[in-house]
Amino acid sequence: MLGNEAVARGAWEARVAFGSGYPGTPSTEILEALARYEDVQVQWAPNEKVGYEVAMGASLAGVRSLVTMKHVGLNVAADPLFSSSYMGVGGGLVVVSADDPGMHSSQDEQDNRAIARAAKVLMVEPSDVEESRWMTREAFALSERFDSPVLLRMTTRVCHQTGVVRLGDRVEWASKGYLKNIPKYVMLPSHARERRHKVEERLAAARALAEESDLWNPILPGSPEVGIVTSGVAFGYVREVMPRASILKVGLSHPIPLERIRRFAASVERLYVVEELEPYLEEAMRAAGIVVHGGRELFPYTGELNLPLVEKALLGAPRSRVTVDLGDVQVPTRPPTLCPGCSHRGIFTLFREMKLRVMGDIGCYTLGALKPLAAMDSCMCMGASVGMAEGLEKFGGPKEKGKTVGVIGDSTFFHSGIPALIDMIVNRSAATLVILDNRWTAMTGGQPHPGTGKDIRGNDAPQLNVAEVCRALGVKRVREVNPYDLEATRKVLEEELAAPEVSVVVAVAPCLLGSRIPKGRPVEIHLETCDRCGACVRVGCMALHEKDGFPDLDPDLCTGCGVCVQVCESGSLSLPAGRGEA
Amino acid sequence: MEITNVLFAGVGGQGILTSSRVLALAAVDAGLDVKMSEVHGMAQRGGNVDTHVRIGKEVPSSLIPPGGAHFLVAFEKLEAVRNLHFLGPRGTAFVSPLEIPPLTQSLKKDSGYLPGIDRILEEKAPRLVWVDAVRMAKEEGDIRMVNLILLGALSRHLPLTPENWEAAIRKRFPKKIQEACLKAFRRGVTDVAQNQPS
Repeated sequence: MLGNEAVARGAWEARVAFGSGYPGTPSTEILEALARYEDVQVQWAPNEKVGYEVAMGASLAGVRSLVTMKHVGLNVAADPLFSSSYMGVGGGLVVVSADDPGMHSSQDEQDNRAIARAAKVLMVEPSDVEESRWMTREAFALSERFDSPVLLRMTTRVCHQTGVVRLGDRVEWASKGYLKNIPKYVMLPSHARERRHKVEERLAAARALAEESDLWNPILPGSPEVGIVTSGVAFGYVREVMPRASILKVGLSHPIPLERIRRFAASVERLYVVEELEPYLEEAMRAAGIVVHGGRELFPYTGELNLPLVEKALLGAPRSRVTVDLGDVQVPTRPPTLCPGCSHRGIFTLFREMKLRVMGDIGCYTLGALKPLAAMDSCMCMGASVGMAEGLEKFGGPKEKGKTVGVIGDSTFFHSGIPALIDMIVNRSAATLVILDNRWTAMTGGQPHPGTGKDIRGNDAPQLNVAEVCRALGVKRVREVNPYDLEATRKVLEEELAAPEVSVVVAVAPCLLGSRIPKGRPVEIHLETCDRCGACVRVGCMALHEKDGFPDLDPDLCTGCGVCVQVCESGSLSLPAGRGEA
Repeated sequence: MEITNVLFAGVGGQGILTSSRVLALAAVDAGLDVKMSEVHGMAQRGGNVDTHVRIGKEVPSSLIPPGGAHFLVAFEKLEAVRNLHFLGPRGTAFVSPLEIPPLTQSLKKDSGYLPGIDRILEEKAPRLVWVDAVRMAKEEGDIRMVNLILLGALSRHLPLTPENWEAAIRKRFPKKIQEACLKAFRRGVTDVAQNQPS
C-alpha cells in the first residue's frame, strides 16, 4: 500500500465521514484512495481554504472529517487553520500537510512543522506506511480528546513510499451531532480571548500525553553511547545506519515532549538530532537547555535526507561503497516537458514569437518556461499570474504596454485567480489574462475541478464555464479561442493586447490525458523542401527530434495536433489528408 | 540485515511504476518486508523516472544509496547510464536497448543522445544483460509487456519463487490480460537464461 493510501485507510478505519482537499503533489492520492471507500463522502474543493472550511463545518456537524493538501496548500488554508485552533472541533478533524523536501514537485520546501507550532495545534508525523495508517486512525481520537485540529505532517518519501500495512478493523464511534456553542465557535475578540486560554490548557494536556506515551514517542533502547532523537522519514535512515543506537522517535511532535527527551538525553553519552529540513526539534531542545552533540550543522540545509548523508553525519563519513565511475561521460538531462499534442504548446509558441511579457502560474503550463519555448517570465504561487500581470502592466512603462499577459490554467483560475481578476476589473487594469481551459487539474494526474463536470468518483457534477464566469464578474472583453489554430489565436491576442481595458482570452481545448482523447494521424515530413530553420523543433515536442540536421518524427508519439505544421514556413510539414483517428 | 536493492529507471509512461509494484507484491507474497519509493507529479511529464525497491526480512528505509543497488532495471539506455552509479561492484544492469532522445532544442547536431552509449554501458556496468524487451513485447503482440519481460529477466536473481511472481501478477493486472502477462513474464525468464554470461 502507498503511504497516501494508508492515510485513507486509517481515516476509514476511524469512521471518517467526509474528506475534502485540493490536489497537490505529494498529497493527491489520499483523497483519491478515500473515494474508493463508498461510505465516505469525498469531494475536491476549488482550493485548500475552502476545503478546510467545508471540513470544519462537517466537524461542527459532529462527524469526523479529513482535509488534504500539499505544504504550500496549507499556506492557503492557514487562515481557517489558525482560527479553528481556537475554536476546537466537533467531530475529529485531521489536516494533512504533505511537505516536499527536495522540491520534487514544488516551488519551495517549507517545513510545516513550524506551522503546527505557530497555530498551536497538535501534530503527528508518520515515518513509514504502516504508521501513516495507524497514526491517521488515532489522530481523530486525539483531535476530539484535546479539542484541536490535528496536523498530520507527511513528506514526499512517506506519501510515495509503498510498504506493508496491518489492516485494522473500523473503530466503534458515534457522532454526538451538532452542539451549538456560541462562545466556542464565534470568534469575536471577546470569545477569542477566552478561547486563547483553552488553547494553552489543551496544549499542556497534550504535552503530558506526549511526555508519557510509549506509543507515540517510543524509546528504542540500545547502546548508551549514542542516543538519537528523530522523527518522520529520518527515523528509517537512522535505524538503518545505527541499528544499535538508542533512539527516541517523536511521532506526536507538537507539543514536543521535552522532558521525555531530557530524560533520554541523560541516559546516553552523546545526543544527536536527525530531522529533515528545519531544526524544529533541535531548537526547542537547545532552548530547553538540553545538550545536543550534533544536529543541523551535520547536514546540508536544503534537500531531503538519504542514507549517505545520515552516515556522514553519524559515522563521520558515508560507508564506502564502490560505485561505477562514469569518468568524463556527461549524461544529458531529461527535463519534463509538455505532452505531445498538448494544447498549451501553441499558446507558448505564440507568446515567444510575439515577444510577450508572461506572468505565469502553477500547472503543467509552467513547463512553458523551459527551453526551447522559454516563454514565461515568472511563476510564484497559485493564482499569482493575474495580480502580477496587473502590477507589471501598470508600472512596466511604455515598453510593457500591450505586451503583458497573465497565463493561468482553469483549475488554478478557480483556485485563486478569480479574486485577482476582480482586482483587475475594479482597478482598471489594461493587461490581458489568458486562461488555459483544458477541463482538468492536469499536472497532478487529471483530477476534476469546477469546470470539468465530473466529481472525484467520475459521476456527473455541475459544471462552471470559464468564459461565463469572467463575463459575470464584469469583464467586457472575453474571447474564446481554439489554441490549436495559431493564426486565429494570434489575431485575438493582438486585438486584446491592444485594447485599453482588461480582457480575457480563454483557450478552450480539453487535456488529451484527462479527457482520453484519441490520437490523430501523425504529421508527414517532406525533407526535400526543408530549409532546416528549426522552427518545428522549437515548439518543444517529444515527437519531433533532430536527426542528421533534419527534423525526424516519432509517429507513435505524434498526435497530429498540427502546431509544428503551422510554424513551418517552407511547407515541409503537413497533416495527412482526411484527418481522423490513427 | 540482508536487503536486496532493485532500482527501476526509465522515462515517464514506460511502466516503471507498475514493474516495481509487481516486484513489491511478489516480495510481500514471499512474506518479506518491502519498502519502495517512487516519484509523482512534475517529475513525470516525459522526464526521467526512477523507483527504488528494497526487500528483505526488515527494511528500515526506502531509498537506495549510490553503489547500493544489486540490480538496475533500465527501460531506456540513457536512463541506464544516468543511474549506473547506483549499482554496486557486483551489480547487474538489465537494459532494454531502446533510445528515447531528450527534448530536441534545435536542428544543430545536438540531438542530446550520448555517443557510443552501448560501449559505455558495456565497459562501465559491472555486469550487463541486454534484454531486447521491445522486440519481444511486439512479438507477444502488446508493447506494454516490456515491463513483464524485464521483470522475468530479473526474477531469476531474486529470492522469490515463480509462485510469488504469479500471485503478484494476478493481483496487479485485470483478469483478461493476466495470461498474456504471465506468458510475457515467462518469456523474460527463459530468454535471460540464454543470454546470461556465465
